[in-house]
Formats: sequence, structure tokens, C-alpha cells
Amino acid sequence: MDPKFDHMNGLTRRHFLGTTMGVGAIAWAALNGVAQAATPANPLATRPSHFAGKAKRVIYLHMAGSPPPMDLFDYKPKLNEFNGKLCPDEMMEKERFAFIKGHPKILGSPHSFKQYGQSGTYLSNLLPHLSTMTDEMTFIRSMYTEQFNHAPAQLLLHTGSARLGRPSMGSWATYGLGVENQDLPGFVVMVSGDKTPDAGKSVWGSGFLPTIHQGVQCRSKGEPVLYVSDPKGMDRDLRRRSLDAINRINEAQYESMGDPETLTRISQYELAFRMQVSVPEVMDISKESPETLAWYGATPGESSFANNCLLARRLVEQNVRFVQLFDWGWDTHGTGPSDDIVTQLPKKCGLTDRPITALLRDLQQRGLLEETLVVWSGEFGRTAMNEERDGSKFLGRDHNPNAFTIWMAGGGVKRGFNYGATDDFGYRVAENPVHVHDLQASILHLLGMDHLHLTFPFQGRDFRLTDVHGNVVHDILA
Amino acid sequence: MYKKMTVLSTFVLVSTFSAWAWATEPVSFNRDVRKILAANCFACHGPDEKTRKGDVRLDSAEAAFAVKEGHAPALVPGDSAASMLIQRVLSADPDERMPPPETGRTLSDREVALLKQWVDEGAQYEKHWSFNPPVQPALPTVSNPLWPRNGLDYFVLEGLDKAGLKPSPEAPKETLIRRAALDLTGLPPAPELVEQFLNDTSAVAYERAVEVLLASPRYGERWARVWLDIARYADTQGYEKDNGRVIWKYRDWVIDALNADLPFDEFTVDQLAGDLLPDATVDQRIATAFHRNTMTNTEGGTDNEEFRSAAVVDRVNTTMSAWMGMTMACAQCHTHKYDPISQKEYFEFYAFLNQTADADIDDESPVMPCPAPDQQAVLDHLSRRQAELDHKMGLVLAQEQEAFTALERELAVMEATAVRSGGWQAIGPIRGDSPEAIYTTAYPFEQDVDPAKTYDGGLKFAARPELDADSTISLFDAGQGAVLYQRLTSTVAQPRTIQLAANGPFRVWLNGTVIYESNEVRRVRGNADVVPVQFNAGDNHLVVKLVNTESRRTALVNLGPLAAPRAIVAAAEKTAADRTAEDTATLESYFKATGAPFTELRAQQAAINEERKSLLATMATVPVLSELPAAQQRQTHIHVRGSFLSPGDAVTAGVPAAFHPFPADAPRNRLGLAQWLVSMDNPLTARVAVNRHWEKFWGTGIVETSEDFGIQGSPPVNQALLDWMAVEFMQHGWSMKELCRMIVTSAAYRQSAAVTPALREVDPYNRLFSRGPRFRLEAEAVRDQALAASGLLSTKMHGPSVMPAQPEGVWQVVYSGAAWETPANEDRHRRGIYTYWRRTSPYPSMVTFDAPSREICTVRRIATNTPLQALVTLNDPVYVEAAQALARRVIGARPESAAAAIHQIVRAVLARNATDIELKELGLLYENAKAHFEERPEDALAMATDPVGPLPEGISPEEAAAWTVVCNAVFNLDETLTRT
Repeated sequence: MDPKFDHMNGLTRRHFLGTTMGVGAIAWAALNGVAQAATPANPLATRPSHFAGKAKRVIYLHMAGSPPPMDLFDYKPKLNEFNGKLCPDEMMEKERFAFIKGHPKILGSPHSFKQYGQSGTYLSNLLPHLSTMTDEMTFIRSMYTEQFNHAPAQLLLHTGSARLGRPSMGSWATYGLGVENQDLPGFVVMVSGDKTPDAGKSVWGSGFLPTIHQGVQCRSKGEPVLYVSDPKGMDRDLRRRSLDAINRINEAQYESMGDPETLTRISQYELAFRMQVSVPEVMDISKESPETLAWYGATPGESSFANNCLLARRLVEQNVRFVQLFDWGWDTHGTGPSDDIVTQLPKKCGLTDRPITALLRDLQQRGLLEETLVVWSGEFGRTAMNEERDGSKFLGRDHNPNAFTIWMAGGGVKRGFNYGATDDFGYRVAENPVHVHDLQASILHLLGMDHLHLTFPFQGRDFRLTDVHGNVVHDILA
Repeated sequence: MYKKMTVLSTFVLVSTFSAWAWATEPVSFNRDVRKILAANCFACHGPDEKTRKGDVRLDSAEAAFAVKEGHAPALVPGDSAASMLIQRVLSADPDERMPPPETGRTLSDREVALLKQWVDEGAQYEKHWSFNPPVQPALPTVSNPLWPRNGLDYFVLEGLDKAGLKPSPEAPKETLIRRAALDLTGLPPAPELVEQFLNDTSAVAYERAVEVLLASPRYGERWARVWLDIARYADTQGYEKDNGRVIWKYRDWVIDALNADLPFDEFTVDQLAGDLLPDATVDQRIATAFHRNTMTNTEGGTDNEEFRSAAVVDRVNTTMSAWMGMTMACAQCHTHKYDPISQKEYFEFYAFLNQTADADIDDESPVMPCPAPDQQAVLDHLSRRQAELDHKMGLVLAQEQEAFTALERELAVMEATAVRSGGWQAIGPIRGDSPEAIYTTAYPFEQDVDPAKTYDGGLKFAARPELDADSTISLFDAGQGAVLYQRLTSTVAQPRTIQLAANGPFRVWLNGTVIYESNEVRRVRGNADVVPVQFNAGDNHLVVKLVNTESRRTALVNLGPLAAPRAIVAAAEKTAADRTAEDTATLESYFKATGAPFTELRAQQAAINEERKSLLATMATVPVLSELPAAQQRQTHIHVRGSFLSPGDAVTAGVPAAFHPFPADAPRNRLGLAQWLVSMDNPLTARVAVNRHWEKFWGTGIVETSEDFGIQGSPPVNQALLDWMAVEFMQHGWSMKELCRMIVTSAAYRQSAAVTPALREVDPYNRLFSRGPRFRLEAEAVRDQALAASGLLSTKMHGPSVMPAQPEGVWQVVYSGAAWETPANEDRHRRGIYTYWRRTSPYPSMVTFDAPSREICTVRRIATNTPLQALVTLNDPVYVEAAQALARRVIGARPESAAAAIHQIVRAVLARNATDIELKELGLLYENAKAHFEERPEDALAMATDPVGPLPEGISPEEAAAWTVVCNAVFNLDETLTRT
């Protein structure tokens, strides 16, 4: 048999049957004289990685809308020197802008910068808490993408393609490595800032991978997972009794029909029953100490980024493979005080600086940081020029796909390390460019997977997260 | 690692159960060899010459046998030892050995042995199986001639005979009726049908029941679901904003076409080219919305051409995938690595679909109004008024012959002073530092206008015929400008006036002199400036610079009447004797449109037009395909590396050479393409359609990869079966109902789905069809079934999509204010096919049951089995409500015992009486639940009423709550979630 074809058969059949064992395993067992397995295996069973990865889990903090690097991380004195002057012509060559019209002016940063830690990393005064952690972090100041609108850029970042329909990074992670805690979803998504990302749920979709790999959206307010609560009037005891009845009838069904899917269904109902307890439990932060809550700035029962950071720690503590946080509100165009870099940006930093720092510290203190990769990013950068949409007097920056800064910590990346650089205006990459596909390849590498070999056959092609691109950035690896 | 493990475990299985097939027969290229070569060799030694290594090509006999300088032929038929391929795969030297180690591929000993045997047996190449047209095989001799009920059974039994298996016994009647009802209508059988069928002891009882199901309107609703996945039907535009789109008329067209059993060939032609058919009906034009289901991007700053070409690419991929089961996508960027489709051929195919008027415009134009019956009545009334008016016009014309003759003279005078237009040309968009800068900068192309010249930066005037047809333009975005030019040829030197307007600053030159400027921001329609001009005799040169300061971007560049149209003048210039009937009609209509005697009637005409227009504005619309006029057709180029920004060689419309030829008498447009697809010579269309139907009845197709019949796809497990049915399908006039009838009335379909140990060993995946099919219900059916069994289901058909209850917080819309509003009426309980489908946030419980997002064509849903599904059917208020409603029905029927009630519940859901174990377990659950609720009256009330509503009189909350728990359990049984 063609191994690729076998592989496809194996996959589709397995997913058609919903289990790695199913008929196959039973037949295999029969062929090999092995007694039939009593319980079918889980399609999310832990699988060996391609090689030993330093990270076991990932927490991805996505600042949706994209913060301006030159006001947070990418210190550019020249911006202030040229503040208010027309930008050089070459900055407009071959550029398309979302909103800027005519010939824009350079916009200096209204925020001050200082060096921190032994690494001497520059950070703006908007991040007083994070500035204490720079020696734990790797900064990549030379990220770039091709997409200058939010949805395509978010899709490219998380699925490797600017178009809808591809699996997201977290889906690839659970597809490749399986799930360690069988009582919880392996890929959890939480959203704050009142809005879902522009690209909608596709940024945590499973694309053509089986839907079991899609991100499960958990909410810190309302039901933590859709339909996880029993109907009103039903308690755990009665639910248990009704599951017992269902299971016993299903067992009889298996006896008469012999379809192993029935056994899978019994075990999935049991898992659902356990999730009804484990999910609300892990999502309940009220049992955290007042000190911890204060440290993160979290409030039980509310929906906030701080709560989500604390939940991220609780989830990775329970061995959840991939936790993705989206926080809306960073699209700082400067059309008014609610999206400028003087009022809105400090406000967003104020809401996130403390919880992110608390998360890093907390992971460190619990010994989780070494095996947990934390990634912080927007979907693209912002212009060195003031947008001045319709003559706005508020300061803001338009979208810029050419350069942005991200940082990573833990999980096998260098500590106190700065990589790549932009030009004098922080506008284009000047040194060591890192494309989003390179970032994806690197994250998979840290998880112990070769992005070239983590593939899924679809529409006649072997698809991968990095499409036909991507190189691991070896320089950032510890 | 993981991948390898999967390969190993399935390898053992598959090779074991197919062992009988190859051990004793000669090696077949199609069955044994091609897949080895395709997986291991074709990437470097296949059709794509760009990636071909060492000038060795193994996908064609001619190339593989060729003697080349410097090395042995790749293959020497009959002599494996002399064949380079065999030498290289056997080589011990890692530098020599194929496939190279860096590919990560190795050949197994068996694969090498097969290759060797094949070469020694003569290295016979065969065309890929699916590229040869199906030939209907004769019915084979089978072990038990009494078993087959129709032709397909002979082929199924032949396969079983070869494997030494016997067919499974027929399934019980109760199982059969539920199986057929779920497959054909997507709903459990109605209780009356079950009763009728169980009591019908005739030999054709089952066939009778099947006829009832096929005739049910529910049939079209269920099978439309399958087609709508392929058509990527959704109620939103996709991409970032994912705004709403009104296209449900297309969904209704599919349902109605299936119910009417529109033959598959017509079904095809209507959708791909209904607009190009002679006298196309409204329905045929609605059908063309098939390809308007592509996504539309309405984000700011995006290039419409980028997303228009993305939509055409999607149409190419979807067309090939839906009809021919071919994966074209890779050939967009480079020649296909496996299937014989070059990149050039990809864009030749693209050229067919590249000529429609739609262009990723926010308003989805072109859209077609679809009158509802009452609106049609008004339209009919307007038509009658129009007819009356036309009649009066005729009367007036007869009375006014004198004035008509005068018109001829007037036309002669007008012609003597006519100014004729050379058509608009334009340069743009012009980008500058600011709108003011654009306005003040003197550009060479406004000073020194030459349509033939190329200005600095490669700028050139381009003809814009659409500006002559429609006076408003959308040439550029806010902050940009454009320069328009036209040559006006005046018969004499004369003063005239022209009309112009723009919503931003504009400046007008005539013959190099500025004659007009305006800097007014305004709506342009009805606000045109009348500009006096002095024309020279002969050619005059009119230049207009427009600058757009607003986000609105319209200008009015219709200059107004400068001459009577040529056709009218030509007709007027003839003598009455020389005029044809057409000439006379032309003159008469001009007279009616301009002559003084018709002033009053023209006002009436305007009133009718206005009424029709305002009526159209309230009608449902549907985006449609509309072919560009010949003069505006696009030139198609190869997109280098798949990018629309890198046009390569120009191509003309054509179909890939590997397939049957384009019909000689067919037009080279979408209509011809559709005819090519449903030509009887097409080796794939019928097979693909039959296989897709088979897949819906059996869970897996005869070709498992129903989306890929190419070289990388899986081969058919029983090609004779597939081919026999494909030919039947075509010969029975492409009737989809007939195809369904044939499958469900076969003996094979009627088998019990029970798996015996023998079957498990020899046919673990039921690929030999040795038992009845058993698989999970699809997303829509899971919900529809619960609603139907509980009596809540609304059977209302058609109309705008509905928004049934979904949890708060699921629907979050960043840009538009659109809300998810659940209606209080029956619309909350409509079938899933009518649920509003938002691409970036589809209905959550359906997604959990593997419904796709419908962003792209999905031929096959892969069913999963997850804990999140259990949470849906256990806890989603929709299912709780269904359980509550069913409980009330059962209690309302006053069953004499708990057992009777359980029978009733199980019958409602599973169309059969409860089994002993069900009576025992559900009886116990009822007892426990009742005792539980008796101690907890508040819980009882909640369980009995939330969300379905207050209890009717005479039903106790404890009783209703306890039965609700039982119904909830029955909705969650494995058998309930499965069609067995």
C-alpha cells in the first residue's frame, strides 16, 4: 500500500470512527491473538513528539488589534527627533495603508523608555511590572507579516494562511501531541475586551482537522464551556443515574450490534460527565488566595483579562496543552481618546501589565515556566507615522505589516535575550527578519515537532501549519 | 512518529484483508503500481517539469521507456535487471538509492517486489482508472441468484463471494423504516408511516414506504443539506466583517429542484450557466447563485481585484471538486504533481469562470429581484397597465403622423450639428500627497493628452466603456484622483452645453484650455453642472480631472444629448420606401421618447416605472452570475506562483487535455463548460455523483476519498459496482431520486448492521458491504430528529434563514450591529437547513456535530465522537425543551403503565417498541427521578417547564420532570444518535 494513502485511510477512518482503536484496534487485536480491549482508546491520547521538546504547553497572549511596538518595546529616539515632520518618501513607496491618506507625518512616542535588567532591554514606562521580568524573556523585534488587515493577519498568524479554513496552531498541537489531561479540553481559548477577534472563531478553528481538535472557548462569566451545566432542576446524582441508564442500554446495543463506536460513545459520555466537574472547577478562581487574586488583579465572577491570565495558569497547571488568550482593544488608530496612544494605550497596558507579569512570576514560582512557553504578540505592527484620519487631533498609528515586536518566555527560549532590529523609525525590519511562519515553525519546534513533518492530507496535498514556508529561528532557542 | 505508527497499524489490517486480491493475479499498474510510484517518485519524476530531477519521468510510458544519453532507460519492459528504476530502488549505495533518504520515504520489500514483477511482466501502463469512461459491466454470476433485488446487488454479492462471506440477514422492519426515513428525509419516520408499513404484509410493503418517503417534501430538505455543503452556502459574506448576505432563494431553489427530481445534468447546467440558457427562467437564474456563494471582502483598503480573483479560484476548485472529484487547488501555483493538470490548463479552466460581472463589490451586485406571489400579482398588474399604455401610445402615433414626419426633418437638422463621442478613457487612480496637491499638480496627461502614449511610471489611458453605459463611476478611493479623456467630433463649429458633476473638486479642459472648475462637495445625481462649451469643427479634446476627498466616490460624466443616436439618424436618412420594419420601429420609439404629443403618456410611463422600482426595492434578492458583454470580457493570464499580481502568459478558455474533448458544438463559455461536465463522455461526473450518494447511505463511498478521484485519492473498493451504477444513473436520465430508490431498495442496503466476529475479521470497515450501514447522524439530523420526535418541529418550508435559540455571548459582531434574535413563533423550531449560517460563527451545536463553516466547498464531513457532543444533547436547552415536549405528549396520552409510556417514547424516537433492557433501565430511571423530584418540588418545576413553558393543567411537575429525564436519556442513546 501507498503509505500516504494508508495514512489518509487511517486518519479518516479513525476519525470517522472517532477513535484510534475502534474497529482497527479490535481487528488488530484479533489478528494478533490479543484479547479485545475493554475500553477504546481516546483520539486525544498523548502521542510522542518528533523529538524531545522543551515546552510541553503553550500560553499564547494575543493583543488583538495590535499594539504599537515603538510605544512599548522598540525604542526609537529618531522618531521623537522627527516628530511632526513629513515622513521620508521612501516610507510610502510600495505601501498600501488601511487609513492613512496623503503624505503622513512622523509620530514620536509620547512615552519614555529606560533600560532594564542585566540584558539592558529597553521598555517604555507603560510596562512598570513587566520591566522586572526582562531577564526571563526573549524579545523578537524583527517580526513581519504580509497582511495589513486584522482578520487576514490574525488568520495568517494562527493558521498559517490569510484565508479562512485552515487549522489553527493549537489544533495542530493537540493533533500532533494529543492531550495530557483527559478530563479537560486540550486547547482552550479565552477572550476579553468584550469582542471576539476580527477573524472570529476561525483563529481557533480546526479547519480540515477533525473537529475534536478545535479550540474550546471557555468563559470566566456564564457557563465556562457551552452546555457544560446540567439543565435546571437536574443535579449530579440524577445526572449520574441517567448516564447509568444510558450506558447500560448502550452496552446492550454494543452486545447486539458489535459497533465499537458505541463503546467510544460510552467513554465520551463518561468524559463529558467528568468535564462537567473538572471544567467548572478549574475555571473557578474563587478558591485562589486573596493575595493571588490581588497579585493578578483578578475578581471572581467577572470577565477580564486578569481573570483569564489566572485561569491560564490554572489550566496549564492541569496540563492543558494550548491556552490562547485574546484581548481586544489595541487597535490604536488615534481617531479619538478610545483608540489613541495617549489615553487608550496606557489604559490597556494598565489592564494587562500586572496580570501578565503575575502570570510569568506565578509560573516561575510553581516551576511551570520551564515547560510552559508564553508568547505575547499582536497580529502586525503599527506605522511610525501619525494616522490623522480625517484630520484627527488624537495621536495614533495605522497598521504596519512590515515590522513588529513580540516576546516569548519559558519553554526553551533564551532568557534576557534580544533578537532582530528595525530601522531608525521602527518601520521596517533592518536585521534578522522573522516571518510569522518562522514563529510558527519555532513554536512547534519548542513543542518537539518538526513543522515540515506535522502534516495532514487534504484536497490532494499534505498541508502543514507553515504552508510551504517557515524556518525555525535557532538563535532564540536556549 | 505518530504518523508512522498510524501507517503501521493500518498497513497490517488493509494488507491482510485485501490479500486475496493480489496474491494470484498478475500485477496491475492501476491497482498495484501507480500508488507506489505516485507516493514515492512522482514529486520529482512526475508531470511537473519544474521540479523534475535528472530528466527522468515515470508517469508516462513513453518517457520512462525512452533511451537517454548517459544512462539506461528508466524502464526496460520485460527486463527488470536492465531497468534503472529497479537498479536504483535496490541499490545499497545511499547516494544511489531511490527514493533519496532526505525524502523520508522508503519502499517496502513487497513494493519493490511488485515493481519488479510489473516490469518483468512488460511494464504495462494503464490510464488512471477514473479517467477511462465507465463501461457498464454485465451482471456477474453469483453464489446465490435469489439474493439480489436489483443490479447493484450482483456486484456486492460478487465481492462477498470472493471474500468467502455471505450477506447479512435482512434488518428488522422497524430498523429498515427508520434507516430509510433518516436517509431519505433526514427525519424519523412519521408514526402513521411506521404503522402502515408494519401492517403491510405484501411483498412490496417496503417499496411502498420508500415511495412515500421519496415523495415527501422533507426529501428535498435533507438532500439539499448535502449539496449546500458543496455549494458552500451561507447567510454571510465571510472574511473579517462577515456581514449578512441575502441568498436564501438559492437554498430554496436547491430544495425545490431536488423535490422535483430535476435531472442531475439540468441541475448542473442551471447552476453553472442558467443565465446563458436561451429564454432563461427566473429559477434558472436563481440557480446561478451557486457560484455567488463565494466570499466577499468588504474591509477597508482591500483590493477588489484580489478578492474577485480569489472568488474565481474558489469557483474553479469547487467546480472540479463537486462534479469531477478532482483536486485542482495545487495547480493554481504550479503544475499538479500527481494529476495531469498543468498550471496553464488550470487558468484555461479559470478563463471560463473569469467573465462574470461580479467583482467583490460590497453590495454583491449583480443581484436579481425574486418576486413573492403577492409581489408577482402587483407586477402582473403593472404589466397590464403597461400594455394599456403601449396601446394608447400606438393610437397617438397613428394620429400624429404629421408630427412624425416633422421629426424626420428635425433629425436631419440635428445630424447636421451632431457631436459624436469617441468614448471615455481614463488614467487613475492618481495618488498624491493630498487631494489639494492632486488638484493643483499639472500632470503631463492632462496637458498633453495622447491615448496612445505611455507616461512616466507606466501610466496609460485605458478605455472605460462602462462610463459610457452608466454615468456614475467608481474609479478610485478617497484621497485619490483620476483624469478622464474623450474625443468629441463636431460636424460644425458651434456653441453647445455639456453636463458634468463630481462629489469633489473637478476641472475641465477643452482643447487644452481650462473651461470649468468646481470645488463643491455634493450628491452628484440630479446636481449636474451645465457647462457651456465652444466646439471646433472636427475633433475636440475634452479632459476632466476628478479628485475624491470623501469616502463616497461618484462622479457624473454623462455629457447629456449631443447628437441623436446613429441608428436613429440612419433610419431617418432613408426614404420611407427603403426603411425596414426595424428602422420604422426605431424611429417610432425615438418619437415616443422625445415627441411632444407623448408628454402626458410619458408621465404615465414614469409612474409605472417608479412603482415597479419601489416594488423591486422590497423584493427578496439573490446574487446571480451575469456574463460580461463581449467588449468588456477579461483577458485571462496565468497567475505566476498563484499570485494575481503576477500575470504570466495569456490563455483562452479550455479544458484539461487528459479528459474528454470539449463538445464540438458547445459555446466556449460557462454553458459549454457545464455541457462538457455532464457529457456522457465525461468519465467522472456520473461516478462522482453516484459515489457521493452511496456515501450518504453507507457512511463511506465506494471511493472513500469522495472529494478526490485523482491519483492521490483512494481507489474504488468495487469498481464494477460503481461503474454499473454510474451508467444506470446516466441512462435513467440522471434522476437522483431513481438513484436513491435503486440504493435503498437493494438487498445490500436492507442488510442488518450487526457485526459478527467473522465480519469483523474479514471486513472490519464494511468496505465489502457485507452488512447494513451504521454511522452517526449528521448535525442537522440530530437536532431535527429530537424536534420531530417531540412534536415541536415546524414543517414550514422556504424563506429567510431563522435564528433558533443559542446561548448568549456566542454571537459577537465587531463591526455591524447585526443581532441574533430568536423569534417567539414556530421559526425557532424549523429544520436545521433553515438555520442562519454565519461563516465566522456557525450555530454552535451543529459545529460540535461536525458541520463545516461553509467557507469553502466541503464534499465530505468527517464524523467525530466527542464529549462536547454529549454535552450538547444532554444539556443544550433545545434538547431539554424537546424532552419536555415529548414527556407532555406521553403523559397526555394517559399511558396505562410506566412500561406503556416507555414504549411510546421509544417508538417516537426509534420507531420501535422498547427492549427489555430499556424497559428495565428507563423504568428504574423514571422511578428514581420521580422519587428525587418529589423531594425537590422546585427542581421538578424547573425540569418540567424550563424552557418549554408552563405545564398544562392536570399534569404534575414531578411526573413531567421524571418523564423529561427519561426522554432526555432516550435522546442520548447510541442508537438514537446513529442511523443503524
